[in-house]
Amino acid sequence: MNWPERWDQRRRAPYLFIAPFFLMFIVFWVGPIVTSIGLSLTDWNGVQLPRFVGAANYRKLLGSAEFYIAVQNTLVAALVYDVLMVVLAIGMAVLLDWRHLPFRRFFRASFFVPVTMSLAVVALVFQLIYAKEGGLLNQLIQAMGLPYRVDWLGDTGVALWSIVALRVWRATGYYAIIVLAGLQNIPKELYEVAAVDGATAWQSFRRITLPLLRPVLAFVVITSSIWALQLFDEPWILTKGGPVNSTLTMVIYLYQHSFQYGELGFGASIAYVLTMLIAVLSLLQLKLFGAESSR
Amino acid sequence: MGLYAGRILIYAVLIVGTLLTFGPFYWMAVSSLKPQGEIFAATLQLVPSQPTLEHYRNLLARTAFLRWTFNSIVFALGTTALSLFFSTLAGFAFAKYEFRGKRMLFAIVLASVSIPQFVTIIPIYGLMVKLGLTNTYWGLILPFSVNALVIFLMRQYIAGIPSELLDAARIDGSSEFGIFYRVIVPVIRPAMGAAGIFVFLNTWNQYLWPLIMVQSNDMMVAPVGLATLSTLYVIEYGQIMAGATLSTLPILVLFVLMQEQFVAGLTSGALKG
Repeated sequence: MNWPERWDQRRRAPYLFIAPFFLMFIVFWVGPIVTSIGLSLTDWNGVQLPRFVGAANYRKLLGSAEFYIAVQNTLVAALVYDVLMVVLAIGMAVLLDWRHLPFRRFFRASFFVPVTMSLAVVALVFQLIYAKEGGLLNQLIQAMGLPYRVDWLGDTGVALWSIVALRVWRATGYYAIIVLAGLQNIPKELYEVAAVDGATAWQSFRRITLPLLRPVLAFVVITSSIWALQLFDEPWILTKGGPVNSTLTMVIYLYQHSFQYGELGFGASIAYVLTMLIAVLSLLQLKLFGAESSR
Repeated sequence: MGLYAGRILIYAVLIVGTLLTFGPFYWMAVSSLKPQGEIFAATLQLVPSQPTLEHYRNLLARTAFLRWTFNSIVFALGTTALSLFFSTLAGFAFAKYEFRGKRMLFAIVLASVSIPQFVTIIPIYGLMVKLGLTNTYWGLILPFSVNALVIFLMRQYIAGIPSELLDAARIDGSSEFGIFYRVIVPVIRPAMGAAGIFVFLNTWNQYLWPLIMVQSNDMMVAPVGLATLSTLYVIEYGQIMAGATLSTLPILVLFVLMQEQFVAGLTSGALKG
């Protein structure tokens, strides 16, 4: 091969290399995101041609009481989940970072295990744990001699928290490993200097660990929130959004209207409003963490 | 003395943490071995009185569990192979070439990472219906064959490879694709393994998309199929737990064998990002 030809190949190569990716990317990301806007302005059942209805879907959505219940449930569940999970993950990570911890590798691995189990399977297993009659939790409560029997998934005041607890169980160890990596990036000399200056363990945690962990915590909170706001698998399998809409989430609302009632145009408008909501929340979190770290 | 009390506290926390972590796994396995009448016993029964494999036999004989598992394997492996190929090739272009539009294209890819999947689901479903790809492997796999996070990771790893290696291959007369195939791929194989585990597990655990894309019992993936068993008129919890155990076990074994790669793969998005 001569050199001009060689140069030509080198100039064309990158376009050929990105072509397959971008072909799929346009068909399965960019295209759908754009057509979604159009679909959200139509009445469409997936079979007949979409019929233009203007902003009717958005009016219907904003006038639906169920939509607000779904948004509220999702936001409350996400917030409680985030706070619980982050606090537990930090605690777990600090523990795992302790040099004298026995069986450190074993614990590091075992806390990570739940995240490898699929959410749907976790939900099926927790069906047995949460059952009112003969479920593990109520059996344990009874074995301790307490006179309670809780309907973990059937009580409107409890069901959502049961689902949050399931999520915390699955995800905490995973995020703890990420926080642990952040901890291990903090120079140990900082703690030694603080100790020489007479700082207590709590003071050095408060003044050194937390501030330096901020970027990692920002990542953890933002990604876990994006996931939490898409809560679907567990409530769908365990409660179908019930009892009395107490576990109805935004994605369940989207799924029911689009794929059970065949209102795909309306579904597209739900998807858009949810995406906007998630985008605004992510930006807020980013601002919050960004503002604090530049203090 | 204070130190001593602290130690005891830490051990207590660790024991409780371990029990909580493995409790549901244990309950799943043990319930799958209990005779039908003992699964929801009135009192706590940590070990089955008479362990039985009947739920496993019934699961395999009366449901399409093996078929669902096979579908899951095809779905997860196909998605992993395609997305690794597309993303590594494109990541290579973004890491080692200069071309017009590069910055803008990469920015678009990055921006798409934070867009939730469900905003694309309705149009893609419409497209798949039109193409007649519902209830097929392609219908399941194709939408997940592009993964913006993987392309980002691959670009990061490939950027770390010295460009002199590429030039040396060019002088030896290698084509540009030959460089990718013979120089880049062998060097980043560990990174591809980690990213592969990430994609595989995410796909293996998918629920919403396969639920929408597949209606026929024969084409369901394992999580969706198992979940349908809990909507039947008579719910066979023993069979469901047997299926849950069987679909969790291979992943657990892989995890024990390849712990480091698993942890690296599943946290790679965080630690590189």
